[in-house]
Order: sequence, then structure tokens, then C-alpha cells
Amino acid sequence: MHLEIRDVSKTYPNGVRALRNVSLTIPRGMYGLLGPNGAGKSTLMRTIATLQEPDSGSIHLGELDVLRQKDEVRKTLGYLPQEFGVYPRISAERLLDHFAVLEGFTDRRVRRDVVDALLRQTNLWNVRKEKLGGYSGGMRQRFGVAIALLGNPTLIIVDEPTAGLDPAERVRFLNLLSELGENSIVILSTHIVEDVSELCTRMAIIDDGEIVLEAEPLRAMEELHGRIWRRLVPRDELPAVEREHAVISTKLLAGRTFVHVYSETSPGTAFEPVEPDLKDVYFSAMGGHHGRRVARPVTETGP
Amino acid sequence: MKLGEVFRFEIEHRLRHASTWIYGGMFFLIPFALLHAIDGGANRINSPENLAAATTILGMFGMLVSAALFGDAATRDIESGMHSLFYTAPISKSAYLGGRFLGALAVNAVILLGGPLGLLAGSLMPYMDPRMFGPFELFAYVQPYFLFVLPNLVFTAAILFTIATLSRQTIPTYLGAIGLFIGYLLATEVYDRAATAGTLVDPFGILAAQELTRYWTVVERNTLSIGLPAIVLWNRLLWLSVTAGVLVLLHVRFRFAHPGAAGRWKRRRLIPPPEPEQYLPIAAPSAARTFGFATRARQTLAIARYSLREILKSRVFLIIVAGALFLVFAYGWDIGAIVFGTSTWPVTHLVAATALTLPMSVIFAILVALYAGELVWRERDVRISEIASAAPVPDAVSLLGRFLALVGMIVVLQGVMMVGGMVLQALKGYYDFEPGLYVRILFGVKLADYILLAVLAMTIHVIVDQKYLGHLVVVLFQLFAAFAGSLGIRHNLLVYGSDPGWIYSDMNGFGPFMTPFIWFKLYWAGWALLLTVVANLFWMRGSERGARRRIALARARFGVGVARVAGVAAIIIVTLGCFIFYNTNILNGYDSPFEAGVPRAEYERRYKQYENAPQPQLIGSKLHVEIYPKKPAVDLRGTYRLRNSTTTAIDSVHVIIYPGIEARSITFDRAVEQVVDDDRLHYSIYALDQPLQPGDSLRLSFDLSYQSRGFPNSGISTSVVSNGAYFDRRWLPTIGYQPSFELTDDDTRREHGLAPRPRVSSFDDDQALQFRSAIRDADLVDIDAVVGTDEDQIAVTTGTLVREWRENGRRYFHYKTDAPLSSGMPFLSAEYEVREDRWKDVGLRIFHHRTHTFNLDRMMRSMKASLDYYTTHFGPYQFRQLRIVEFPRYASFARAHPHTIAYSEGSSFLSRITEGDVDRPFFVTAHETAHQWWGGQVAGARVQGAALLTETLAQYSSMMVMEKTFGPEQVRRFYDYEMDLYLNGRRVFVNREVPLLKVEGQSYLYYHKGAVAMYTLRDHIGEERVNTALRHYLAKYRSAGPPYPTSLDLYAELRSVTPDSLQSLLRDLFEEITLWDVKIERASTQRTDSGAYRVTLEIKASKLRADSIGVETEVPMNDLVEIGVFAGAESERGPGEPLYLQRHRIRSGQQTIIVTVAREPARAGIDPYMKLIERETDDKVVPVEMVPRASPPPG
Repeated sequence: MHLEIRDVSKTYPNGVRALRNVSLTIPRGMYGLLGPNGAGKSTLMRTIATLQEPDSGSIHLGELDVLRQKDEVRKTLGYLPQEFGVYPRISAERLLDHFAVLEGFTDRRVRRDVVDALLRQTNLWNVRKEKLGGYSGGMRQRFGVAIALLGNPTLIIVDEPTAGLDPAERVRFLNLLSELGENSIVILSTHIVEDVSELCTRMAIIDDGEIVLEAEPLRAMEELHGRIWRRLVPRDELPAVEREHAVISTKLLAGRTFVHVYSETSPGTAFEPVEPDLKDVYFSAMGGHHGRRVARPVTETGP
Repeated sequence: MKLGEVFRFEIEHRLRHASTWIYGGMFFLIPFALLHAIDGGANRINSPENLAAATTILGMFGMLVSAALFGDAATRDIESGMHSLFYTAPISKSAYLGGRFLGALAVNAVILLGGPLGLLAGSLMPYMDPRMFGPFELFAYVQPYFLFVLPNLVFTAAILFTIATLSRQTIPTYLGAIGLFIGYLLATEVYDRAATAGTLVDPFGILAAQELTRYWTVVERNTLSIGLPAIVLWNRLLWLSVTAGVLVLLHVRFRFAHPGAAGRWKRRRLIPPPEPEQYLPIAAPSAARTFGFATRARQTLAIARYSLREILKSRVFLIIVAGALFLVFAYGWDIGAIVFGTSTWPVTHLVAATALTLPMSVIFAILVALYAGELVWRERDVRISEIASAAPVPDAVSLLGRFLALVGMIVVLQGVMMVGGMVLQALKGYYDFEPGLYVRILFGVKLADYILLAVLAMTIHVIVDQKYLGHLVVVLFQLFAAFAGSLGIRHNLLVYGSDPGWIYSDMNGFGPFMTPFIWFKLYWAGWALLLTVVANLFWMRGSERGARRRIALARARFGVGVARVAGVAAIIIVTLGCFIFYNTNILNGYDSPFEAGVPRAEYERRYKQYENAPQPQLIGSKLHVEIYPKKPAVDLRGTYRLRNSTTTAIDSVHVIIYPGIEARSITFDRAVEQVVDDDRLHYSIYALDQPLQPGDSLRLSFDLSYQSRGFPNSGISTSVVSNGAYFDRRWLPTIGYQPSFELTDDDTRREHGLAPRPRVSSFDDDQALQFRSAIRDADLVDIDAVVGTDEDQIAVTTGTLVREWRENGRRYFHYKTDAPLSSGMPFLSAEYEVREDRWKDVGLRIFHHRTHTFNLDRMMRSMKASLDYYTTHFGPYQFRQLRIVEFPRYASFARAHPHTIAYSEGSSFLSRITEGDVDRPFFVTAHETAHQWWGGQVAGARVQGAALLTETLAQYSSMMVMEKTFGPEQVRRFYDYEMDLYLNGRRVFVNREVPLLKVEGQSYLYYHKGAVAMYTLRDHIGEERVNTALRHYLAKYRSAGPPYPTSLDLYAELRSVTPDSLQSLLRDLFEEITLWDVKIERASTQRTDSGAYRVTLEIKASKLRADSIGVETEVPMNDLVEIGVFAGAESERGPGEPLYLQRHRIRSGQQTIIVTVAREPARAGIDPYMKLIERETDDKVVPVEMVPRASPPPG
């Protein structure tokens, strides 16, 4: 079973082209969707989650037509939106129980078991009686996961889930997701490269509504092997370096600038080769040096 | 500076929103459209009073817009999460709050300007009928805006903004608006008891304006403006200071703090951090899930239960419940206090259908709008909608669950109302709770209305998809439904949720109203189903907005299932619509007001030529009437004996059958030929082969039937119902052309191309003087009637009961008159219980409903006291019996027929008399009993002044009986009420006022002014002289006529008993419209040498004559007026213990009166008991100032 996205386009009434001919094939396992803010990630997520209509294109989950058989898809869907609220005045247990009914658990005893199990798994058991209004960001996020996991979804969509989590929460959360990935399709949308590099077996990079790279992280890093070079540049020389080389990223360090440059051959003696990480993959793809944008004339440089 | 920026920013924000422009448009268009719907009669549409009322009331509805504007201005930052940025900016509380408040205020003020502008634009439209408008006065448009609307806006805005800012929620803000409305209602309650206090506590100043124009006549209302009077300015000042206080409170209480973080009692409970325990492996329990119908049903119920709990658990709902109960108690406490301050027993139907329903209907309309919005928006407001939308729940389940929650809320509120109603009854000492009736009214008919409204509100909110605008659209729809009739949309098939109306009666239950009610509600349920389908198609799920997208989505959702439901709805609508149309338009011809007048106009045009054609008179009728209350149907068979009382031979007989009655046959005892057979107008002319010679008579036999068929669009017939039939002579054939069937209203006549006709013939219309009843075909008639009815009912008609028997499961009554009677022939039938008593040799009976026993003793006592007084002072009673027969409250009058008084259950069977009240059942009975003399023994010709001879004399007679029985105190109270009703009548009734002697149809004259005039006369010349005049009048005209007497004949008798010195008073009261204006300016006293007190009163007096439209001219005054000096405490009954009370001759202008009293006076005044016809009431008595005695000159 896999999720098949074909030629999905979407233009908002204000003229913003959120998605342009997006095509992806997403198999079982963790799938990372990486892209800068405003790239169209959330639009794509919502469209897969049956909440938005594309202008054109099709989405299939196995045999199911996501755009037409919405009710069927929703039965196997777990969705954790980028931003959500909760009813502040009721307890986690009560609200989860309510969603369990909506997810089709009508037998009271079965529902009780499901709700209890999920509260334990998301480590909310101790606070299940507390009002949701008092939850911290991480607790609320885990509560969202508990809702998303109701009914053993085969398609789980999590949109920017780690934003606002402290490091420990984030690790716990990602572990939870990767366990899920063993049995289901998990789509993780994020603009944090580390989230993907640590977890995902496959990934896509989206920018300005277009998929600029679809790859397996490990293989993508391998492909870049020997093409990423690094150099420390004094600040006044930076413009010259940027003019002469394909700079994919820069980082300030103690008054001087670390520059990563994409080059298939050595750009000069001042540069030393580095082992590419996923960030380099990301920036190369965004900068048009790697992936689907290569064919196109470069119109803009990376950040 | 910063305040300016916040202010500008707020205005820009508002201007960017479409809703602002929509509000503005509506507030211009509603008054504009309203002007097209009004027909004020003599009252000019653009009179200052009308403009002020329209502008102010519109301003009150503007509270809904204010709630939206100020709610948004106050909570927007929190809702959008922007508050952290604003709160941390270097800006003061006053700049932040002030800018927001003033910005919204400015926008709102401009929106409300639409009121006067819309009225102005409407009145300037060139196609408007100029006769309906008075001269243009700019001030009349401007003044209400600045005097009422703007200060009201500032006040309501401050309240609403404060509530919204401090609560940070929408619903409390709207509740604040409702609360202000309730405050107004309570102020009206206060106003009814103490006018000045009421005018001050009314936050909107409406009552102050009302008080000022209380006794204004049409002319005054058309031309005068209230200007800028002190009472209004005080009211405005009071409430503007309250406003300032509220704003100060806001400034003190407001904190730039995160919501929930501040506050004493809202401190957050600390949550123990979860232990960093090991995550369990994800082995999500695999459990059976089902998605069948049963699951859908359960999910629907789960959503309903969950949403309902959200509503019920909130503190806001508690406030609503408390407020609703409060209102119900305030409104229901004096339920049914209609006249003379008499209250009514709180029987269940009054409490449930009036106290719990009337004041709540507005509040329910707003609550349903509000909570429908909350339910539609709640998930999006807390931002959980994306998660919820992704759950495998069909849209229909989400929608239906919420709808059920809304219904649940209504049911809970109705339950609270029911308990509140019973508590109210118990507190009033009434314990017959009738829970079944509560359930039928609150959870039956009213719930049906509210559910239909709930469906509409949900659908509107789903489609409009803007919360505040949605609220407004729902409320506007309600207004439209309420005023559809005046916009010309009258058919109940066209206004969502409407029905032909219903009245509950203890006697007859819901009677004939239930069946049509149910059919109409089922028809509207079909529409509701269709609305549900629409709501389902447009249900907001996910993040698609914009009309085009939503329509595309709706199209995609339109599947087989939806189509099927829509089909069912369409079938219901079409079948029931046709069925109802068949009933309302085919079985019962539905007529627009114009069409309804067509047959009567046609009747006049065709047959008026026969008005004076000689016709035989009805002198005897033998009737057999079969009443079938359960069907309902009536068979009327009988024979008329008609005699030629004229001096010429009669060659044809004209017969009119009442509309709705079917004539099976009309036959004569001799050869006739039917020469006119007008089926449509029910007019037939039979030519006699041999003319009927003077003094000869003939017999006419008829066989008529009445059968109710289906139901009409409105005006469901209540003449024959299963318990409480009441119909009269008009259902029997009428002989000859009857002018009383013609159209009367001048405008209606003009529409139908008829010339205006005098409403009443004048004294010198010789033709009119020949008749004394509306139907001109009879004078004195022998009646012999057998009336059959159901076995468990008693039937009553004119005559003595000769025999009663049972036959074929029916009960028969044979009535026969002892001597020929004038008028009459009522037919009543119901399951009566009978209370019997005697007065001398007259049998007294009250036929009443089983439970209506509260006032039987009072009625009985009144009949006895009346017979006593009238026989002593006027003349003998002509019958051997007198009876009161109750009929259902479809009409609320009591009407005297010969020895039979038809008495509505709504008249005073349920009155509750407490110590000091005017005994209304006693009064009504005495009044109707007096008609056995005035109207029964002697009646005037049907010309102007006729009602003086019946109603005014009956009022006077009953006052005298009350005086004899209860003492002058109660009559004084009654007199005060009559005075108020007369002066109010001058204001309310737009038909022109005439002097009492020429009274036409003005009930405020012949009842209320008549009572005042007669009692004033009695006060001056004494009871015996007045009664002597009446006795002479009665003796002289008892068997006179035709021609019959007129008010001039009675007046001649009154003049002959009145001394010369009081002839001018008689003239003032009867021949003219006279208004006095006397007041005391100062009273002082000085001790005399003898130890007495010399009181000096400085008074001012004038006398006015008014013409028919209220134009006044001053005339010299020279009348006897009471001067009084009082000691002791003031009380409700009067200014204290009188030390001096004498009539003085008072002339126009300033004058000083000096009187001496023995004890120290406290108060003094002129006309202290307000016996003169005067509009000012609070300048009659003043405290007496003590002037020190001049010290004796030093010697």
C-alpha cells in the first residue's frame, strides 16, 4: 500500500500558486516533506488529509481515491495539523473519548480500552483528568498524536509537529513517530532538516509549490559526495566568493564566515572537501544545483 | 497621539470589513422600506413623534450591531493572538482602550445615522402620497438622533465594550445587549406604577418621551415636537453618568495581561509534570470499529450530548437561565392586568402561553441565533476543526448532532420555564398546575416554532459563514416574519414557520386551531428538511472558503442520498402545500384585503337602490336549530312571520343569507316568483303574485345549514366549536337591504370606487330615525325556538325554557318568549355547570365552565344589587329571569341580550379581586344588567349619539350600583381609570373626536368620557336629580317609536333637572369638547388671632375647547371647582384628611382664594381629586408654607 500523488496543482483565489504539478509516491514508512515556510507543505498536507480540494491532479491511497472517497480515507487517516487548539475546559480523557466515538468506537468497553492505551502510550496517563487548557505545548502535541492514532490509521500526516517542543520532548516525539512508521505511511512535514535526517527513509523537498527533490536521505547524501566544499572567508571577501562560486550556505562564526560551496570539481585550494549532510542536500536542491531544478536556469541563489 | 492612531487603525479595520457596509446599508434600507409599509390614517407618517419612535426603536435593534462591533473591537486581539504584541507595546490603557472604543463608536454612530437618513430619503420619494405627510421639519429628523440614539449608543457601547473587554468572549456581550433590553422592559413595569421613576430608570429614554406625549391628540402628535424637556435631559444625564462610571470601572479593572493568567479566582492549577517514563511500544489496541447506521446514530447523539454539555456547563448559560426566569417573573407577576388595575388568576394557559412565551419570543430568537452560531463556529474558534474534520464522520452527522444540541438547549430552557411558571403560580396562591397543558404548550406548539427557527438559524450560519453577520441575518429574518403582514405578504404558505395562529381556551382547549396548526408546521417541516439538506451541502469542513469553491464542493457532495432526502422534502412541500392551498384558497376563499371588500362593494352598487323599498317586518319566528358541536355544523330551520307594517302594499320580499351559510330552501306560504337569485352576494328577491296589503302578514320558511369546511389562512371560525358555540341572529335570513352590511371605512370605499358615506346618520335623518337596531328587518319579535345539541351540553337562547328532553342521543331545549322582544337571538351551547339563585321573583342563573368559579358570587351579588338599584330608581325589570352564559375567550367582550348576558371567559371569569381593587366582575355584570333597561327597554334610533343612550347610561348605572355597594371610594378609583382611558383614547384613536351628544363609534367617548360626564353631573346636581331625569326619559320613550328617541331627548331631560347655574357645565360636558387646566402655584398660611389658620391659595385656571382633530381654543372660564385644604399624610387615595373642601367659582387667569381652617394645614390645592377633565395631574396640590405672624407693633 502506498500513497500516489499525481500532478496536483492548487492556486489560491489571491493568486498564490501553492502547488504546481506535484507528483509523489509515498511508501510505507516515515516520509519527510521538507521545505521553507510558505513552500506549500501545509497545503499539500491538508489536501492529502481531505480538507482541501486541488484544482487538478489526483491522489490515491492504495485503491482509494482520496479526493472522492473522503469518508473512506478518513477512516484510515490520522492527521495532526500544524496548529490546533483544544477545548480548554474539559479533560484529555473526555475529549479523546469523544473523538473515539467519532472514529467509530461505539462499544463503550472497547472505547475505554483504546482511550486508556493511547493515553499511556502518549504518556498522558497521569494528567488525563486535567483540563486541556492547562497543558504545555508538548503535552498538547502528544494529545494531538493520541487523537491521530485513534483507529490504527494506515496514513498518518503530521504537519510541523516539532515546532515549539523542547529538545527532550522532541526526541520522545520523534521516537513515537518512527515506531508508527513501521506499520503505516507517516508523512512528516517540517522545515527542520534534522527531523528528517534522523528519522525518514524517504523524503521530498518542496519549494514554491514544486517538488525540487525526491530521494532517500542516505542516498542523496552519497550522491553529493565530493561536491560540497567548505572555506572560512573574511567578511569583506564574501561578495567575491559568492560571485565566483555556487555558494549554497553561509554561517557566521566568530566574525568570519563559513561558506559551503557546491562544485563537481575542486573550487580551489582554499576550499576543503566536506562530507555532505542533509542540510547540504537541502540547500543544493533549493539552490538548483541538485535535483529537479538543475535543468532550469538558475534564477535565484539559496539562502 | 497614540490614542489617535489606535482610533484611526480601528476605523480602517472596520471599513475594510464588508460587514460594516452591510450593517450601514441595512440601517438605511430598513427605515426606507418601512415608510412604504405604513399607513398611518390621520396620523402623519413624518410626524415628529413617529420619526422619533422609528429612529429610537431602530437604535435599540442597533444594539445587535453594537454587540458585534464592540465585541470585535474588544476581543479581536485575543482571538487572533495579537494581544501579546499590543500589550507589550509602550501604550497606555486609556490610549489602547479609548482608541478602540472611540473608533468603534464613530463607526457605529455613522451606521445608526442610516435611521434618520433612510426615513428622510423615504419621505422624499416623489411617488409617496402627499396626503400621508405633514410639512417637512428638519429638526424632527435631527432631534431624536442626538437626543436619544446617540446617547443610547454611547451608553450601550460602554456597557457592551466593558463586558467584552473584561470577559473576552462574544456571548456575554450579546447577553449584555439582551440584559439592556430586559432593563427597558423592567423600566416599563416601573413606569406603570410610578411614572416619574420609570421615566428615569429607562436607559433608552423612550418612556420619558412617552410620558410627555401621553395625552396628546392627533394634531399635537402630528405637529409638536417634544423639544428638549427637562425630564428627558435628566434621564440622559443620569445614564451618561452611569456610562462614565462604567468606563472608569473598565479602566480600573483592565490589565495588559495574558488571558487566564490574571484574576484572583481563575488562577491556573499547576499540573504535575508527567514522569519521564519509558514509552510503551506502539501497539495501538486493535479494536473493532463499525461504521453502520447504528454507529452514525450514536455519533450523532455523542456530538449532540457533547455540544449540549458545552453549552449547559458554561456560566453564561446559567446567567441566561437566571435572566429568563427573572424576566418571566417580572412580566408574569401581574399577568392579565388589563383594566382597572385588576389582576387575573394565573391559570396555566395564561402563564404558559403568555407569561412564558411573549417576553421570551424575542429572547429565544436571539438565543437561537447566538447558539446556532456558536455550534457552527465552536470547533473553528478553538482551532480544533482540522482534527475534527479529518475524523471519519459524515457531514450530516456533524450537522445533525449540533442541531440536536440546539434543540436540547431549547428543551432545557423550556423545562426551566415550566418550573418557573409553576413556582410563579404557587407564589400567587394558585395550585391547579395542569402539567399536561404546560407540556402541550411549551413542548408542543412553542417547541415546534423554536425547532423550525433552529433549523433556519443553523442553515443561515452555515451559509453566511460569518458569525456576527449570521446573527444579524437570523434576527432580521425574525423581524421580516413578524412584519410580513404589513409588507403585504399575508399568506402563511409564504412566510417561513408561520401558521394561522391559535388561542387556548379553558373551555375549548386548542379547539379548531390545532388541525391547521399541525398541517402548516408539517409543511414547514418539509422546508426545514430542505434547509437541512442545503446546510449539509454547504457545511464548513476543512479550509476551503469563498463562494465559488463552496458551491463546487456542494455540487460534489450532492449524491444519491442527498438527492433522495431533498426529494422527500420536495414531495412534502408540494403535497402539503397543495393540500393547504386547497383548504385556504379553494374551500375557504383566500382574499386579500382588497378582494375581501369586493362583494360588499358589489352588494352596495347593485342593491342600494332597494334601500328604501318597503319590506315586511319580522314579528315572529319559530325556529328549530340543531347544533353539532363536534363536527362542527349547524342546521337552521324555521318559519318567519312577516307583517306589512307600512302603509303601502308590498310586492316583493328581499332575502339576504349570511356569507358562509348555505340555503337549502326558502319557501313562502303563497305563490312567489324568484326574480333575483344572486348566489355570490346571497341576495334574492321574490316577487309576490298577490301584493301584501298593509297589516297583512305572510310566512317564510327556510332550511339553512352551516358546515365548517377545511381551514382558512387566517381568521379560523370559532362560532361553532366542540365546547362553546356562540352565534347569533345574523346566521338567520335577513329581510331587505341592510345599510349596515356596506363598507364603512372611507379609504376602503375609495379603493372600491364608492363615495365616502357618513359613518352614522345625523339627528335629522328621518329615514334613520325609523330604526333602532343594526339589522333593520325587525322591531319586536316573538321567538319560539327548539335548540338541539350534544347530549352533554346545554344550549341557551332567548326565551323562557319551556321543556327539556333527550332524543336520539341528543339533548333538546325549547325556549319561548313571554312577550315580543327587541333584538337578540344568541345561540350558545357548551358543557355548562349552572349556579342558581333568586332575586325576588326573578331566577338568576350563571352557566359557566367547570373550573371558572372564582367570581360567581361576585356576579350573583352584582345581579341582585343591580336589579335592586335599577328597579328602585329607573323602573321595573321586564323579565322573570336573568342569566349569564359563558363563551370561549376567542372574543373578550360581554354582551347583553334580552335577559341573557353572553360573557366571555376572557372578560372577568378569571379576574382576581384583592382588597381595594375595582371589582371588575361586579362592574361588568352591573353594566350588562343595566342594558336590560338601556337598550333593552328603551333604545335610541341608529343615529349619532345612540351609544350615549345605551353604553353611557349603563356605565353610569353600574357606577351607582358600585357606589351603593362598595362606597364612593371605589367609584372614585373607577372614575380615575375612566378619565385616563378617555384622555388616552383621544391619543390612540385617530377617528375624530366629537362632543358626547353626537358620539359615533368612539368607544373611548361613550364608555369613558360618558362615565366621567355622568358622574360629574351626579356630583354636582346629586343622584336623585339625575335618576329622575333617567326615569322620565325611560317612561316617556319606553314604548315610543318609530321614530325612536335620540341623545337630544335624553339631554332635554337632563337639562330640565339641572339648575341654571350648572347649565354651562352640562354644555361643557355634553355639547362641547372641553378641557380644563387649573393649577395651584403657591399656598401659604398664617395663624389668626383666634388660633385658626388662614390659608391663601394662589391659583391659575383656564378652559379650552377642542375641535374634532384636537385644535384648541381658549374660552372664558367661570365654573365651580373644588378647593381643598388637607392635614395628615398623603396617600394613594388622596392628599390627606380634608380640613376644607368646597366648590368655588373659578374664573380664567390668576386668582387668590383665602379660606380659614381650624387646624394646621399640610397641603392645599384646587381640584384635589382631579374631577375635571385635565391632562396635567401633578400641579393640583402643593404643601402649605407657614408664614410667621407679623409681630404686633411695639407699644
